[in-house]
Amino acid sequence: MEGNVDGLVPLEIDEEAPRLEASAPLLEPGAPSDLELMQGIQQGDPDALSELYDRYNGIIKALILRVIHNEAEAEDLLQEIFMEIWNQAKNFSAQKGKPLGWMVTLARRRAIDGLRKKQAYARAEERLQSETEQQPDAWVHNTTETEITRGDTRELIRKVIVSLPLPQQQAVELAFFQGMSQREIAAKTNTPLGTVKTRLELGLKKIYDGLKELRHEL
Amino acid sequence: MSFEEFQNRSRLYVIGALEPDEIDAFEEARKQFGQKAEDFISECYALHEAFALSLKPAKSSAALKDKLMSMVREKQQR
Repeated sequence: MEGNVDGLVPLEIDEEAPRLEASAPLLEPGAPSDLELMQGIQQGDPDALSELYDRYNGIIKALILRVIHNEAEAEDLLQEIFMEIWNQAKNFSAQKGKPLGWMVTLARRRAIDGLRKKQAYARAEERLQSETEQQPDAWVHNTTETEITRGDTRELIRKVIVSLPLPQQQAVELAFFQGMSQREIAAKTNTPLGTVKTRLELGLKKIYDGLKELRHEL
Repeated sequence: MSFEEFQNRSRLYVIGALEPDEIDAFEEARKQFGQKAEDFISECYALHEAFALSLKPAKSSAALKDKLMSMVREKQQR
């Protein structure tokens, strides 16, 4: 149970801490960086898109699947998203963040839009409900997978996430992967709005702080 | 709004979880804190990356990439 974490706790912000960054998969020596690939795409190089696709299609598809829970729709959206990356690359600015962050932001928005446009929201909600009943949180499930080796970035990030109390995980899950507002989460979980807000704020802060620590370890 | 509160709201903002009635106060604080606020918001977008990297990558069909690249090359030739 969440216990006293529902109350806001004093926040300790280290303004001198290094910039928060999650780590992308390790690249082979000599391989172009994500930024170099984005610059290639901006210059109209299809091979750069091809390489970026090889590098991240699995992550982007996993994100889409987490939102819409439908394999065929996920494949369609994946294609649309990489097409949008190709078309919108000119809008990417390295000063505002990393290529993966830009792609994930774009993919998440498209996936949530797609979910709503196709009026699949109710059906996905039922599936999510079913999954939630069977397994409180897929993040928890994923941490037990043996193929993920110690030191793997993904595992480290999951460790940060699964260290949250379940109600916080659930609130973050519903907000990030289902695009729900605080009010929608409150209604879905039959929880007071103020509690939902606190859970989200605490959950996100812990993940943010955890990532900063993780950054020191990598 | 203190900067600490702004930081909390920023993390909600980047995932689209701020309620409509919170937006005005957030935007006002954003202006008030200026570049410091913009820098923090940019940092918060790393949360998106982190959530995605926490997932186990899913496999896609080879045909999908072929179709994508074919569409890209077709568009380039227009």
